[in-house]
Amino acid sequence: MHKTLTITPSRCISCRTCELACSFKHAGVGGLGISRIRTFMFGEGKNQILTCFQCDEAACVKVCPVEALSRNESTGAIEVNEARCIGCGLCSIACPFGHMAHDAVNGIAVKCDLCRADEPACAAFCPTRTLEYI
Amino acid sequence: MTTEKTISLEINGRIFQAQEGMTILDVAQREGIPIPTLCYHEALESVGACRLCLVEITHPDWKGWRGLVTACLYAVEEGLQVTTDNAEIHNTRRTLLDLLLARCPNSDVIQKLAAEYGVTATSFQKNPIETTCILCGLCVRVCAVKGCSAIGSARRGIQKKIAIPFGQPPPDCIGCASCAHICPTGTIKYEDTADVRKIWGHTFKMVKCESCGRPVMPEKQLEFESEKSGLGPDYFKLCPVCSQRKSVETIRSTFDMKPVEVAR
Amino acid sequence: MRIKSVKTLESAAKKARTERDQLKTEVLVCAGTGCLANGSLDVTKALERAIRGSGLDAKIALRLKNTGCHGFCEQGPLVVIQPQGIFYKGVKPKDATEIVEKTLREGEVVERLLYRDPNTKKKVEQYSAIPFYSKQLRIALRNIGKIDPNNIDDYLAIGGYAGLAKALTQMTPEHVIDAVSKSGLRGRGGGGFATGRKWKTCRDAPAEPKYVLCNADEGDPGAFMDRSICEGDPHAVLEGMVIGAWAVGAHEGYIYVREEYPLAVKHLQHALEQARERGLLGDDILGTGFSYDVHIARGGGAFVCGESSALMKSVAGEVGEPRAKYVHSVIRGLHDKPTVLNNVETWADVPWIITAGADKFAALGTKRSTGTKAFSLVGKVKNTGLVEVPMGITLREIIFEIGGGIIRNRAFKAVQTGGPSGGCLPESKLDLPVDFDTLTEAGSMMGSGGMIVMDEHTCMVDTARYFLRFLVDESCGKCVPCREGVHQLHQMLEAICRGDGQPGDIEKIESLSDVIVKASLCALGKSAPNPVMSTIRYFRNEYEAHINEKKCHAGVCRNLFTFKISEEKCTGCGLCLKACPVDCILGELKQVHTIDDKKCTRCGACRNVCPVDAVEVI
Repeated sequence: MHKTLTITPSRCISCRTCELACSFKHAGVGGLGISRIRTFMFGEGKNQILTCFQCDEAACVKVCPVEALSRNESTGAIEVNEARCIGCGLCSIACPFGHMAHDAVNGIAVKCDLCRADEPACAAFCPTRTLEYI
Repeated sequence: MTTEKTISLEINGRIFQAQEGMTILDVAQREGIPIPTLCYHEALESVGACRLCLVEITHPDWKGWRGLVTACLYAVEEGLQVTTDNAEIHNTRRTLLDLLLARCPNSDVIQKLAAEYGVTATSFQKNPIETTCILCGLCVRVCAVKGCSAIGSARRGIQKKIAIPFGQPPPDCIGCASCAHICPTGTIKYEDTADVRKIWGHTFKMVKCESCGRPVMPEKQLEFESEKSGLGPDYFKLCPVCSQRKSVETIRSTFDMKPVEVAR
Repeated sequence: MRIKSVKTLESAAKKARTERDQLKTEVLVCAGTGCLANGSLDVTKALERAIRGSGLDAKIALRLKNTGCHGFCEQGPLVVIQPQGIFYKGVKPKDATEIVEKTLREGEVVERLLYRDPNTKKKVEQYSAIPFYSKQLRIALRNIGKIDPNNIDDYLAIGGYAGLAKALTQMTPEHVIDAVSKSGLRGRGGGGFATGRKWKTCRDAPAEPKYVLCNADEGDPGAFMDRSICEGDPHAVLEGMVIGAWAVGAHEGYIYVREEYPLAVKHLQHALEQARERGLLGDDILGTGFSYDVHIARGGGAFVCGESSALMKSVAGEVGEPRAKYVHSVIRGLHDKPTVLNNVETWADVPWIITAGADKFAALGTKRSTGTKAFSLVGKVKNTGLVEVPMGITLREIIFEIGGGIIRNRAFKAVQTGGPSGGCLPESKLDLPVDFDTLTEAGSMMGSGGMIVMDEHTCMVDTARYFLRFLVDESCGKCVPCREGVHQLHQMLEAICRGDGQPGDIEKIESLSDVIVKASLCALGKSAPNPVMSTIRYFRNEYEAHINEKKCHAGVCRNLFTFKISEEKCTGCGLCLKACPVDCILGELKQVHTIDDKKCTRCGACRNVCPVDAVEVI
């Protein structure tokens, strides 16, 4: 039984550290636009954090023509096999929540993969335990 | 689940473990050992056409026999000894790139790769026909994997070319442009406007995002994808940006929160 | 009609043999493609009419039949009369009446139709006394010329399908593989792989179903061994394949015939149907319960489809392109299943090995190349045609004793063996034994059996250019070294023959050839540099003359020489004048003739006809 990324939005202070940590981890730079986790501020301290739901019946997996998306059984996350991905962009259109992004530099799809073998960076850096990996 | 045999092999003097069925290239890429490729893509069946990934193999049982094989196709064996680069291999790759540069003198991808091997101008006769196609076949293979097989190769030998049936816009093409995306030299071109995509002589009408109106994909492709995936057309009606906006709006209205203030 | 047991087969064979033995005379007219093109069917019709007209067929048991290629193609149309063993060459329909009246009725020979040995200058009556035939040992070609390929009873009479009966009822599959291994039979298509070992590996492969195929693609220019076997003795091929299928455990197969062999397809198809009808092919063969059936697959005009993996793709309906053979076809071949593919001649040898015994085959030839091999001997040799000889015979014996030497007694220059994958060997190599291994060491290869003899009028650089042009046309185009590399080699040779050769070209050709050999995906590419490399090895001076002097001393490369008629030698016979297609030769009868070099196209017609070799190459 694997751990889950648990989100408690009421603790979120909109510091956006999670987004910075995610981009550093995956792309080596701290760009907010390329993070795979996003925060939304609704004011009055009511914030939401959105990241891939790792759907049981994922549309992205169904639509990929080359089987580049598959579930990692130990983390439970759906991962992109970057070498297999042909950059067709179907997964990003098919995802009903808009969680799949397109890395234009490398021409492949990118998504939250719960940082694969490591502890998710967003949870590791979240100062308020809004994001926990338990 | 099958119990896959673990195989022990040597690459450039170092021992690695691999699963039965892996190729030399699989192991080398996993271990970060560089082997050049042009016609290889992990998503597609290897064909061993460009020959750049040739490596030297031998084995203690082979009585000193050594040979060159393409790493993308050769399956690992217990005790295999691989050398990924030496003077002979380097010279072979150099000549192959020299030949490709003769074929496609104006391809910047080939120019760059050839320059890495010291070839700045071809020593052979230049192709009188202008092309950047290296006949790697990736476009044909990806179109087949997509399930369309709209494009193929015509003729053989030095006359071989990537072609569309009878020179007409291929009836099976759905306009997904996977061929263009996978082409290593950027030979296959397509043109997108707000309303249409032009590729292989077709003019495909684009489906537009129901929310923002940006083009999403060709209509023909949408029909194909919604059926092939079994998801139905609704999954393809919004662009990713608007899908995300929709999710955010759903959360906002569910929890009765004020509208989002962050610009996208 | 269906032969349901070995006993029935034996009695059917006996019946056919008895009928044949009761014949007083058989008139065998060669109807192989060569003689057919020469009008042999009209000869048969004329003989038929003449026989009927003579009323002889009522008096003596006489049979007239069309057979496959007798092999002495240069001399066709050929007619052989047995059991007398009389051999007539160049027979025309108008000769029919004389043959019937003089030979069949009176028992006398028609002198003008006899073969004259060009070396002894004497006429030879007997088939068996003609050196072209007497030095041969025919195993794969054993029945051709003796039987009507469209009549299965002819095949039964001569012992056909007895090998199959023995294999199915007296031998286990393992015994059959053992026998073939012991015989030392190696693939006759050129690869020379040990046939027994190939069958064993396929038998041991765990996957099902298995396939047994025949490679009748025969793409080498100038080779027609397989064509003659398919046309002249199709049942031998079928019999061999059924024996192979039994050994390997296959129940289905294909004969892949090149598109350009319609007569072979016709005869094979007819033989297939006859064999099926008689229960010698298809379900429950000879009532043993073993089933194996064969279909014919046609090629589409591609030399590369003679390569085993490309052939299998073509049979499966895909584009014929080879694949890397790191996993052999015997493990994963047609439809990814274990497949045995053997050449026509290999299959034709198999029934003989089973009936005569593996030891008999192994006793012939050399230690590592046992048995015999069929060759198509063509080019500048007096006796062109199809020959079969024991392995180990020297090139000299084939070319001079069987072939009769060079036409017009010119000087031998080279012999090209092994088709486009082979190379050219010079006079110094004439005493090499012909087998799988020795010629390879010398820079050529035996290949499928094509042997092109060349004389002093052949330019070796032009020869290399010709073969490279062939390979450029036939390359499948999949891999870079062959598609681009062989093309570049050809371009270089074209330039050299045009007079645009540069110093350093030879070295450039050598280093590119080295890479093509190392890096190519299949044997077509890997062997493509052989013609140019072997000619550079043995005839480097010709390359140097072309490049440095811009001269072709053989008088072939048109930009690199002129023709001049020798004043001393010219007799003024005027033959050259008549032969010239552009009327550029001037001269009165009995006066020295001259060539107007400005009009001359260097076609060489004058040189070919001159009886005193007065046309010189300057």
